[in-house]
Amino acid sequence: MLNRTNRLQILGLLMPGLTVFLMFTVYPIVRLFWMSLCDMSFSSMLSQPFAGLMNYREVFADRTFWTVFVNSIVYTLVTVPGQMVLGLFVAVLLNGIRHFSVTFRVINYLPVITSWVIASLVFRYIFNTEGLLNYFLWKVLHVTGGNIRWLDTRWSGLAVAMILGIWKGIGWNMVIFLAALQQVPQDLYEAADIDGCGSFGKFLHVTLPGIRGTILFALIELTIGGFNVFTSIKMITGGKPAHHTDTLLTWMYYKAFSTGRFGYAAALSFVMALTLGFMAVGQFRMMRLRDS
Amino acid sequence: MSRIWKRFALILALVLVLTAGAGLAEPVTINFWHHYSAQSAENETLMNVLIPAFEAENPDIRINAVSHEWAELHDKILVSANSGALPDVARCDIAWLPEFQKMGILVALDETMPDFEEVSERLLPSAMSTSRIGGHVYALALNTNSKIVFYNTAMLEAAGVSVPATLEEWAETVRRLSGENANGQQIWGWNEPALAGWNICPFIWSFGGTLLSDDQTKATGYLNSPETVKAVETFAKLVKDGCITGFNSGDIPMTDGFGTGRYAMMLEGPWKSAELAGAYPDVAYGTALMPAGTGGSISVLGGEDIAMFHTANQAAAWKFMQFMTGEFAETEMARCGQIPVNRAALESDVVKDADYAPFIAAIETAKARPTVAAWSEMDNGLQNAMTAIVSGEISAQSALDELASQWDELLK
Amino acid sequence: MKNRNMSAVRNFIRYMLLAFGTIVFTLPMIYMISTSLRPNGALYEYPPRFFPRIEALTLENYDYILSQSKFYLNFLNSAAVSVITIVLAAAIGSAMAFVLGRFKSGASSLLFGFIIITMIIPGTTMIVPQFELATKLNLVNKLFGLIPFYVSWVIPFSTFMIKGFMENIPNEIMEASWIDGADVLTVYARIALPLASPAIASVSIFNFLTAWEEYPWANTVINDNSRRTLPIAIAGFFGQHQFTQWGYVFAMSVLTLIPVVLIFVFCQKFFVEGLAAGGVKG
Repeated sequence: MLNRTNRLQILGLLMPGLTVFLMFTVYPIVRLFWMSLCDMSFSSMLSQPFAGLMNYREVFADRTFWTVFVNSIVYTLVTVPGQMVLGLFVAVLLNGIRHFSVTFRVINYLPVITSWVIASLVFRYIFNTEGLLNYFLWKVLHVTGGNIRWLDTRWSGLAVAMILGIWKGIGWNMVIFLAALQQVPQDLYEAADIDGCGSFGKFLHVTLPGIRGTILFALIELTIGGFNVFTSIKMITGGKPAHHTDTLLTWMYYKAFSTGRFGYAAALSFVMALTLGFMAVGQFRMMRLRDS
Repeated sequence: MSRIWKRFALILALVLVLTAGAGLAEPVTINFWHHYSAQSAENETLMNVLIPAFEAENPDIRINAVSHEWAELHDKILVSANSGALPDVARCDIAWLPEFQKMGILVALDETMPDFEEVSERLLPSAMSTSRIGGHVYALALNTNSKIVFYNTAMLEAAGVSVPATLEEWAETVRRLSGENANGQQIWGWNEPALAGWNICPFIWSFGGTLLSDDQTKATGYLNSPETVKAVETFAKLVKDGCITGFNSGDIPMTDGFGTGRYAMMLEGPWKSAELAGAYPDVAYGTALMPAGTGGSISVLGGEDIAMFHTANQAAAWKFMQFMTGEFAETEMARCGQIPVNRAALESDVVKDADYAPFIAAIETAKARPTVAAWSEMDNGLQNAMTAIVSGEISAQSALDELASQWDELLK
Repeated sequence: MKNRNMSAVRNFIRYMLLAFGTIVFTLPMIYMISTSLRPNGALYEYPPRFFPRIEALTLENYDYILSQSKFYLNFLNSAAVSVITIVLAAAIGSAMAFVLGRFKSGASSLLFGFIIITMIIPGTTMIVPQFELATKLNLVNKLFGLIPFYVSWVIPFSTFMIKGFMENIPNEIMEASWIDGADVLTVYARIALPLASPAIASVSIFNFLTAWEEYPWANTVINDNSRRTLPIAIAGFFGQHQFTQWGYVFAMSVLTLIPVVLIFVFCQKFFVEGLAAGGVKG
């Protein structure tokens, strides 16, 4: 079956993909690592002296790095469970109804397909100090005693980005969890009925174990997404005040393209990729441990 | 499925045809980067009056004008210097030139252009001095400006205060103007849209403070001098008391806030008149000089130069630069609030009618921001320090002490 | 009897919760549309209004955006880049998926594992070396310079999704063709591609979204107004110093969203199936 022609054809089919992959993904990763070891800046773009771990030392000694690192971690720790829990909740509700299921699904999915730039601008507009939300909270609901300066402080600025992240992510979680729920064998529920499980018991003992694979998938995908947050921060607070609301990527971008510290930016990127790698492996392990 | 594929193919073909059509290249194209706002009168004039006129005069040259936001233009030029995608010509803030010159991306015009003397003589010498670095001239002056006080006449009347002439009066007036309006909305006596050198320097200088030693080599002893600290403390106190705002992400933008009576006063440049006339024609306002302190009434000198990069098509770029600094272009731009530096344009009726008098008075005493290569980085440090000070995280003295030693490093 | 009542109550609660959630969900979008329909002067009116006053409703923002030739250019740029990206990604990804899914060997699973591992690194992380690469390849400030990078970003995910489909093609169908003496290319084009077309369609919709809304990379490498894609054009509107015309921003946003929403509503089935397949399998 696999004669010379066929082998060549297989190679031919692989070639375009491999070329793109090696050139635009693998090479940049390798190059990123090498750049992180060089003293690269605007003025030394042509000569790139090897600098050992200088960039890494600088990253770890930088107060702003730790601020943005904590910001990214907090963003991920809040938005990932937030999206998953709400997404799963909506999925469970949808799974239990017969009418309008598609309508609800389509509407709840709209935020996912709204581009980050647009969604961020809408949220910036809603949360601006003189905006509609503050008016509503203060003058209509009387729950606040004045305008909250959402966009102007570290945690409230991040909170807006996080609310946006969750709002935009629920639809995606809803769809994949809905599909997973429909795959849980019906007889397991019937067995649980016979054992006298309540609906919450069934959810805990039948549903959750049944969709474990999907939970892991979502967990890893969303964690990557959490670290990838960029556009919303750039549009909503721009890192203000004084980089307090920057995240790893917006700070990396600033260092690279506004100050020309490419070496620093590369080291930062690499630290981030390693952190994510460890987290992914950790999440995998945790789920596996539960299995046994 | 095949329907979808067919449609894809159709769209693809359409796209290819369109791009092929766009790709039929002909005359020399000059890429011109600037930071006239995309919706501004300046940009309209540039796109609809100046460029068509230039292209009619020079049919072999096409101008591709690209608008960037101010800060982004600076970053884009730095990045493009390394990616070989520099424009031919750019309108640069006068504060950027030392940095670009140090990177070696600018063309020394006095060396390369035989008719340089003749061209530069048409422009004001004081404005041309902004482009002279280390014995050579790297740009042509394009426009000059400074900032003066804009005040909302009705708001000052309602509060029963007069226009502040001294810094003490200013602080008092700003305080009196702040409070609430009839709707219970907060109003602020003063708007400051950012905390960079462009915004803070007038206060530092007018309070008698300085940023650097006269030879621009040292910050310690100047940036953290008692006068500078006092200026910053006074400003920070007013921010803390809810009398100054504008630099936060959630604030009402300056023009909107002034136009809707939420900000009573601001320090702004000549372009603001055109902007207000366009967006808020009903608001009545007056202008005054920067309030004087022990240092005098010192505003910040602004302005732009037009510079050529070393990758440019020099002959065509030079023609365009001459055109932009020529009488016709400068007069047209004067209509949108750009103060010309071309002697002939300054004599024109447009300029005489525009009443730039208050700005010209401000320019006479205004100071330029430090003309050092590291200014952008220093300016960023200043913004961060100011942010920490006004939020009460750190005292003005210790923040400026720390910043001064950072600046000393950058100046080495 | 009691049970039936219980379940009726439960159903009612479900619908109520869903309806409430849906309203909260759509508020930001409705507010965006409502803002795009009012004149700029009404933006700071007091008290602020969720819906504009009927008599103040205006299409002037849309008029303005649609009267700008720039808008059509930006639109066309986004469309061209997105369409070419999805066509290339579909061709390249399905070929890879076919080989990796049908010709299993140590080498092919190693390669697949490697591709999957790179998916852990968020795209924007590599923006610095990729920018350097774009510089070397002279792709900076070229509209079509965006495409190779977009393709490289979506290929791992596309391959991953299509591979699952390729693996599920019944062996008998394949065997029959081999016996008929067909070569690899024929089997790929005549059998694998048509059978995997639902997966390819669903992946293509995702890829379209990715390319259509991509912001950081395009913003970094594109300079000229005439080469800007829609997200940069919108962000550019917003970035103007101290003077944001929200009406224009949101009118342009609405116009940008229309094609995406149309595609989504009409291809909803593929969309959801594709996502579900990925999530359940993974």
